Order: sequence, then structure tokens, then C-alpha cells
Amino acid sequence: MGPSNGPVDDKEAMKYAIYLGCAIPIKYPGFEAATRNVCQRLGIDLVDLPFACCPPPTSLKMVHYDSWLALAALNLCMAEEAGLNLMTLCSGCVNTLKEANHTLKKSDSKRRKVNRILEEQNHHFKGTIEVTHILDVLYQDSVIEKLIKEKVRELPLKVGCHYGCHYFRPPKVMYPEELSESESYVPVKMDHLLSIIGMEPTEYSRKFLCCGSPLGANSDQDAGYAIVKEKLRHIRERDIEALSVICPSCFEQFDMGQIALSRKFKDLVKVPTFYLTQLIGLSLGMSPKEVGLDVHRVKSKKLLEGIGIS
Amino acid sequence: MTVKIWNFFPREALYECYQCARCTGSCPAIEVAPALGPRETILKCLNLGHDEIVEDERLWVCCTCNVCEDRCPQKIPISDLLVALRNSAARRGNIPDKLEIAIELLAKTGRSMIVHQLDEMRAHHGLAPLLPVPIDEVREIFKKTRLDEVVEF
Repeated sequence: MGPSNGPVDDKEAMKYAIYLGCAIPIKYPGFEAATRNVCQRLGIDLVDLPFACCPPPTSLKMVHYDSWLALAALNLCMAEEAGLNLMTLCSGCVNTLKEANHTLKKSDSKRRKVNRILEEQNHHFKGTIEVTHILDVLYQDSVIEKLIKEKVRELPLKVGCHYGCHYFRPPKVMYPEELSESESYVPVKMDHLLSIIGMEPTEYSRKFLCCGSPLGANSDQDAGYAIVKEKLRHIRERDIEALSVICPSCFEQFDMGQIALSRKFKDLVKVPTFYLTQLIGLSLGMSPKEVGLDVHRVKSKKLLEGIGIS
Repeated sequence: MTVKIWNFFPREALYECYQCARCTGSCPAIEVAPALGPRETILKCLNLGHDEIVEDERLWVCCTCNVCEDRCPQKIPISDLLVALRNSAARRGNIPDKLEIAIELLAKTGRSMIVHQLDEMRAHHGLAPLLPVPIDEVREIFKKTRLDEVVEF
């Protein structure tokens, strides 16, 4: 497989450098365990490299663009040197690394500037790899075929998908090949994947708007929670039983956020939140503990027992 | 030190704005907090130049969700403008405390999360210890990009 040809489809062995980021391996290692397990079962090889922080599009990029681009370039160089495309698990990481990769491939002046900095560390950005997200990796035909063969149970629950803004915005950088005529992009891959494991993806108002996490992290926690509260109102209006996310920051906003909100609003009905590969893992026969559900704040035990998973 | 933000953002793009407020009408932050919102940010840049805006703390009340740019009928690269304005604001000392602390941690450790008793927690999930970050390289990079001019670490 040639790393410059993007995520490969079909037949050949699929191999990626796994980019864990910071929040998943440190705060939510259950997501990592579920992801590694799911990838192994579906024939996706993962290689670990000593990556640094991506760094986030919500923090360092806002404060010091040049530092943001240079550190992102270091991570990209590590994957290039290993000859591997890079697979992220987080909407923030994919935003930084995809945009930095795109910018450095496109702009001679920025690439020269970054390479002057990296050369003393014996790195040189060449632009030979692609950056992708676990959702896009799982969405390839050969992986889906394998998932259909390998799944041992269905999860008949009404599920609401939340993609995380940075996963697909700005679409001209994140999904340039999949833009509509009006140059917009509406993500659907998570909904489709979850329907394959027997879930019922359900639309809700404000589906593609922010969860409020960056506002909480950078300025006002309560304001961030006010955003997620409004989203949850629309989610409950559609009788959604479970939420699926592909970003640890969005996850925390929904999981911790509902605990914080329920202290203030006693009648709040909580909706358990899952990371995508936890749901896929359950359908492949893994136990709730194996996919790390025991550490979630909003418990899913009753919900899962209702469909025969314990 | 002042940085001319127009080196980073095409000023003429601002003249495409006809103040329809679709951006601010879509903004999740302004609904819940005292944000400036993209429409007013652009208007002030046009009327007052950017100097006044970069002193304004409300500039930071934002989700960075990019929905403003997504919905702009004039396709103004609003997120690039906001990055340029905030980079300039940070340089003048206008930066939220929480963000400054987060960047200090990142500069010192190469990660955005505090690592504490991590190996046991990872073992609980059947995972090996996390590979160490090449922290010396990270520090050298930040030294060369002069991050310390903006955030001390």
C-alpha cells in the first residue's frame, strides 16, 4: 500500500499509525481499549508512535498559530517517517492534523518555515501521508463487509449521533472530495454504521451544532453546559435512548454535563452516551466492561440489560 | 508587540460582508454568553480597525465550531479572521486565564491533560503504558516559534 494514496479500500492489509491524542488515553482509556479491539477484529492493523499533543484547534491555534502548525507538523513527520497514514480518534485531533497536513502540502512558504524549525530535530515534512478518523476508516466497504459477517448481536435502540464540529468543519478542508454543489457537507457515516448494527439512527434538531465543550473549557463552564442542555432537550423530544459520539470532548460534555445539570435540574432525564467503537464492540460480542462502560458517569446498565446485554 | 493581522487575513474579504447576521444567528455561544458574535466583529473591524477588538475580552467567547463560516452566504473565511484576531489579542495580554493555563501545561509536558497514576488506570482497561512524548523536541520547537513571547512557561 502506498501511503500517498490515502486510506486504502479493499483487499490489501490495512495499517495505520494510531493517533490517540491526549484525552482518550489519559481520561477515557476505555475508548482506546474498545477501538483497539474492534480494529483487531475487523482486520485493521495499528502502529503506536510517540506522538505529542495534536495540538487542539480550540486552544493553541487560537493563541499562537505558528506554534500550533509546527507541533502538528512534528506529529505528521513521525507518521511520514513510519510510512503510515495517520488515524485519529478525536474530532479535535483530526481537525488540527488534517488542516495542518493540507496547509503544509499547499503552501510552499509555510512548509519552508516549518521545515526550518523541524530540521534541527532531523525531521522534514514531505507531504506523503493522509490523515483520517476512525469513523472514516470503519466506513470503508471492506470493513463494513467484515462487520456484517462478524457481528454477533444487534442493538435495537434509538440512537442520536453527534459528530463534533471539528470533525467536518470547515468542510472544504475536512471533506473536499465529498462536498455538495453548494460546497456544503452533512456527515452521515456514523448514522449508517450504527444502522448496520441494528440501531435506529434518529434525527433531532441542532444535531450539527456545537456541544458547548470549547466554550466551557476556554471561558465559561456554565455557558457551555447551557448549550448542551438545549441540545439534550431536542434529543429527548425525539425519545432518543442513546447518544453516539466520536470525540472525547463531546463525550465529556454530554456525560459529565448531564451529571452537572441534573444537580440543578432535578427532573432531567439522562441519556447514556457512548463512543462509537464501544457500540461496535458490543455488537461484536464484547462485554460492557471490556469496552470500558463501567467508568461512564451516566450509566447504561439498565438500557443495555433491556436489550439483553450485561 | 503588535502584529499586523492583515498579514494573516485578506482584509478585502471583509468588504464582502453585507451584515445579514446569518453567522451570529447561528452562533451557539452568543445564545448563552456575552459574545461579540461574528457579525459585530466584522463590522467593528471595518469601522474601527482591529485594534479595538483585540482589547475586548468578548472576542474569546466562542465555541470555535466554525458554523458561522459554514453558513456565510458570502463565503468569508470567518474562522481565519477569528484566529488572526485572537493571536493578536493574546500577544497584547488579552487571553483567558483558563486558556493560558492550558497552554502552559501543553508547553511543559507536550500534552493537554495532566498525567496522574495513569499506568494503573490503563491497566484496568488492559492497556500498556502510554509511550512518552518527545518532550525535548517539543520544547525546542516552541523555543524557535517563540511561544514564550505570548505565554510564559
